[in-house]
Amino acid sequence: MILKNIYGLRWKILPPAAGIAMIGMAALALVTAPTELIEGDVQRLLYVHLPSALASYFAFSVTAVCSVLFLLKRDFKWDSAAQGAALVGLIFTLLTLVTGSLWGKPIWGVYWQWDPRITTTLVLFLIFSAYLIARKSTSLDGDKLARFCSIYAIIGFLDIPLIHMSVRWWRTLHPQPIIAKFNPALPDEMLLVTLFSVLAVILVAAWFITLGIETELLSQRLLKLKAITKANISEKS
Amino acid sequence: MIFAPQLKIGVNLLNANLKQAWRDKTNWMTAGMFAVTALLLYSFAFNLTGGLVRNLLPGVIWTVFLFSGIFATAQSFQQDRQDGILDALKISPIHPMTIYIAKTLANILMLLLIEFVLLLAATILFSEPLFTPQLLIIVTIGTIGYTALSTLLSAINLDRNNGGLLLPVLALPLLVPLLIASVEATSASLQQETSTAPWILLLSLFTIWSAAIATLMFPLAD
Repeated sequence: MILKNIYGLRWKILPPAAGIAMIGMAALALVTAPTELIEGDVQRLLYVHLPSALASYFAFSVTAVCSVLFLLKRDFKWDSAAQGAALVGLIFTLLTLVTGSLWGKPIWGVYWQWDPRITTTLVLFLIFSAYLIARKSTSLDGDKLARFCSIYAIIGFLDIPLIHMSVRWWRTLHPQPIIAKFNPALPDEMLLVTLFSVLAVILVAAWFITLGIETELLSQRLLKLKAITKANISEKS
Repeated sequence: MIFAPQLKIGVNLLNANLKQAWRDKTNWMTAGMFAVTALLLYSFAFNLTGGLVRNLLPGVIWTVFLFSGIFATAQSFQQDRQDGILDALKISPIHPMTIYIAKTLANILMLLLIEFVLLLAATILFSEPLFTPQLLIIVTIGTIGYTALSTLLSAINLDRNNGGLLLPVLALPLLVPLLIASVEATSASLQQETSTAPWILLLSLFTIWSAAIATLMFPLAD
């Protein structure tokens, strides 16, 4: 009941919270955060790159959880939620790859490296691109398609731990974890800005996911209404 | 005790699937011909001669295995669906996992046959020792892994209106980690400079993961 009430306030909470957080993030990242000594101003891409990666993991987690819930309850609202969240996850994964490339060029000298973490992030992008392509398949009825896509999303989601562990499994160009460890290697000011940026981007992702869910639910409702109208017209004629 | 009847049914289903595959050889022979043709094309494209062979051959072999395997398994349930056998199996007391395991095992055996023929051809063409026990184990483990996932995906008749293109698009991204582990293990085996144990362990973990996931998911798929 409480969760339902909170969800009812989503359009009053999420947009202003996300907007204020993004403005704060921009100010902190561009002005307040100190310039990194070796990498210079390009290092500020960290405040977009890392939060985007985390936002994509968050969105795909929502997709996977909603897919599991759909398979258990067979309620199409969970399927709509999964589809809406997957699109948001895909956008943030693309943003992660693009900002990573822009950061990599001046630092590594190349836009792309075939190191395990970058490669598996690209694979994640391909997996959920395929998921959204499969969604447009017209050869199956709604229930079968939703079941298949839910299964595919769950399997695809299990790729995420592989991405996270790849830095620890193989030697790689990608920096070793500097935040997700006991003694973070970032200075306090940068760490605070990074954490705030993560919060801001997650809020934006949550807002976009909610928009995506509502769009899919409305789309389903429209299809149902069209079907009912068509049936009524056929009956009368 | 509970598994014994399902095991017996599974063995019978496996026999039936193998007989069906043997009778309808077109699909498998096409996959085999595609594999050999692709191998030849790669040898022309990459000029696989001399010192380059050992570096490029693992990637060439596994790319060929994956493409031909996915094309072959795409039709796994097609005949069963057309003949109404799949519907009959669904309403029977046979557990869906038994149906899936029998079909996957049949696919694995047929694909291993194609792959061993291809390895023989590659051994002759490139004068490389590809018929070592270690390499055969790597090929077997990798084949089980990718066949498990592609058979699951082929169970849904998603490809009816897409000209057979959708299954590779769906399957290949999921199989990339398996492909990397297979290629690295094969390369280590051929080069004999590094230990293959870590890569074979990684490959085995991927295979167990994909086989377990696919087996658990199949009852929900259809």
